[in-house]
Amino acid sequence: MSIIKSKNLVHEYIRRDEEGNVESIQVALDHVNLNVEPGQFISILGHNGSGKSTFAKHINALLTPSEGTLIVDGMNTSDDEFTFAVRQTAGMVFQNPDNQIIASVVDEDVAFGPENIGVPTEEILKRVEKSLKMVGMYKYKSHSPNKLSGGQKQRVAIAGVMAMEPKCIILDEPTAMLDPDGRKDVLQAVHTLNKEKGITVILITHYMEEVVDSDYVFVMEKGKVFMEGKPREIFKDVELLKEHSLDVPQVTLLAHELKKAGLPMQECVLTRQELVDSLLEIQKTGGKAPQISHATVDTAAKAATKSVNNELILDHVSYKYSPGTAYEVTALDDISLSIKEGEFIGIIGHTGSGKSTLVQHLNGLIKATEGHIYYRGQDIYDKDYDIKDLRTQVGMVFQYPEHQLFETTVFKDVQFGPKNQGLDEKEQIKRAYEALGLVGLPEEFYLASPFELSGGQKRRAAIAGVIAMKPNVIILDEPTAGLDPKGRDDILGMISEMHKKRGDTVILVSHSMEDVANYVDRIIVMDAGKPAFDGTPKEVFAHYKELEAMGLAAPQVTYVMNDLKSEGFDVKTDATTVEEAKEEILCYVK
Amino acid sequence: MLREITLGQYYPAESVLHSLDPRVKLFATLVFIITLFSANNVILFGAVLVTLIGIIKMSHVPFSFMVKGLRSIIILLIIAGLFNLFLTPGRTLCSFWIFTVSDVGLKNAVLMTSRMVLLIIGTSIMTLTTTPNQLTDGMEKSLGFMKKFNVPVHEISMMMSIALRFIPILIEETDKIMKAQMARGADFESGGLIKKAKNMVPLLVPLFVSAFRRANDLSFAMEARCYNGGEGRTKMRPLKYESLDQRAYICIAIYLIVFYSAKVIL
Repeated sequence: MSIIKSKNLVHEYIRRDEEGNVESIQVALDHVNLNVEPGQFISILGHNGSGKSTFAKHINALLTPSEGTLIVDGMNTSDDEFTFAVRQTAGMVFQNPDNQIIASVVDEDVAFGPENIGVPTEEILKRVEKSLKMVGMYKYKSHSPNKLSGGQKQRVAIAGVMAMEPKCIILDEPTAMLDPDGRKDVLQAVHTLNKEKGITVILITHYMEEVVDSDYVFVMEKGKVFMEGKPREIFKDVELLKEHSLDVPQVTLLAHELKKAGLPMQECVLTRQELVDSLLEIQKTGGKAPQISHATVDTAAKAATKSVNNELILDHVSYKYSPGTAYEVTALDDISLSIKEGEFIGIIGHTGSGKSTLVQHLNGLIKATEGHIYYRGQDIYDKDYDIKDLRTQVGMVFQYPEHQLFETTVFKDVQFGPKNQGLDEKEQIKRAYEALGLVGLPEEFYLASPFELSGGQKRRAAIAGVIAMKPNVIILDEPTAGLDPKGRDDILGMISEMHKKRGDTVILVSHSMEDVANYVDRIIVMDAGKPAFDGTPKEVFAHYKELEAMGLAAPQVTYVMNDLKSEGFDVKTDATTVEEAKEEILCYVK
Repeated sequence: MLREITLGQYYPAESVLHSLDPRVKLFATLVFIITLFSANNVILFGAVLVTLIGIIKMSHVPFSFMVKGLRSIIILLIIAGLFNLFLTPGRTLCSFWIFTVSDVGLKNAVLMTSRMVLLIIGTSIMTLTTTPNQLTDGMEKSLGFMKKFNVPVHEISMMMSIALRFIPILIEETDKIMKAQMARGADFESGGLIKKAKNMVPLLVPLFVSAFRRANDLSFAMEARCYNGGEGRTKMRPLKYESLDQRAYICIAIYLIVFYSAKVIL
């Protein structure tokens, strides 16, 4: 018997005006039919706004169907009588780790669920211990959640659900706000629950890599299930997925591209091993003579023609939090760097590596405890240096920049920066207009409230707010955090486009190697408050083993090329994008 | 900058104070405050001070950590002290320009500021050694009788514990938004009172929006975990008096008796 069965499920969000008249109806779920068997690991994929989160809330009876029925373990969720039983059977973990932890101590939070359903005291203690051990968080039981990392908080949230002993657990984009390390830990915990405890898992995500190991996948778009099947069946149709702007794992994409180029690749490659095996097979049967000449995808020449003026110089910069106390933490440790005019730089590091602290020094938001910073030859710590002026020259876009929008219209919000610069009204308007054009926000939104825009649009508006100040250097701290793959590609594409148009210096802070590799000229890898590597993407990713030890990963294709090399293929291993890898392999195999 | 506020934070450690029932600690804090404000001479004040030092030692919380909490209100203390110093009438000790310092003023200023300092340290020991959940449990139970008068005691205590949980998060968020607006040239420091208030808009609007968003998320998360008010809830650690708590009550009673007998005698 299925544990979850939805039949023609429809959900409509109805917006009413002040008198209670219906203003608009938005169909979030449109006749969804879906079955989940007990013990399965199910993934639901889709963009933001595809209805996947709305569906998740139905399984937990947080929302009830406008039409159709949803049966969870034999209970109809529309029936009020079952509400709490449904919630107990199908527990839910949400996206934002901070906004779902209720108590100020880890074990008290895990106990919250069992307390609500009236479990006796003795039993609660047992369950809390068991659940925390399941997700590997027992040793943190008396910690404050504020002191935990994102991944740890999510595991606490999972334990909180497990303590209610559900049959099924729904995770609504649990990894969207985490760094790669946190993502790995959370996914591992979920897989363990599924395999060892037989818990049915429904994982909602937009990361394709997370879907590969599941039993069955549903792909949603515009409130409908438009594809379903085993991961292998889903990824078979790469073209269709790309058409719907869904992300495909790099390995699958590479195999698909190779096949398109005429290689007789195996159907639907999901893992690195499969790709390597498939190529080995081709080499054996094909018996084509290996060619020695390599593809010359040369990005070095491009970099050489650039001007060499130093824009920013860091001279032995160190920063310590709470210096002189027992809580002293060295966030930056004696950094010397120079950033040249017109460079497109990626700063990569895991959470706590000091990357955000580093960039906040560049426009004087944080003052170094030791060392000097020079902007265009001037020491920014000089007494008569105008730090406010520096901030307009070195623009900074923070993580989740849309959270800083405050004005009544998008246009006014973008004007805020130029206004603070003391420009006259005419110039303010001109600047705002230009900036909004550069970020590609459609004109119909200029006079809308910033709070009415979608996630991606809000972010564009917020970035425009910084660009309107016409800075020479733009720093973006995790500009793609929390966006779906389409939103991510759009924003990165826009930044790269803007860089080309304006010729300014761009510094991109990220923990995603794959994002960065496609766009930047230079990568600085931060680890424990120090730059560990600094060079072109190729140079940096050559150290893929060391990167892995730091909790970072090189792009998947780098691994593939190295695997091929160790299998005896004489290929260059410095490919960082799918395109480069394809050229290199084709060159060798053909 | 804002992150250094320790007021209302819990400091995990193992100590007698940590393992006491929150109701005992609430009562003790109340007694402490009453005696602090009725100590009107040096000896009594010294007695309160000595008691507090003993309690600080017992708490196993580093003293430097408690003092950090004071830093954020130091300006308030200075202002209160100065007002007392200059504006209390009495026998003039010295005077310059328009200010006069009187004997009563000096005494009041010293007494006032040291009382404030002790008050803050004393109450922060309670929050430092008691998890917010225990604290609100303690209040819920101590004030449970008010349910009879239709006071929603459980709801209030739940609200308090959520507020305590989110204070550090919102402080961090304020810090972040402030920096983000400063990067866009916003100025939170200069200008007169009205201009300053106006300049706060770019900080307050995003902060409120974020608070509402978090509240919305949290309400879903609580419902998803079957929260349905105080009815039928059990507790992982129900409050139960142990022999330790009884001894603590006896200590508090002795302290009260000694203090007030001393006050009458002196």
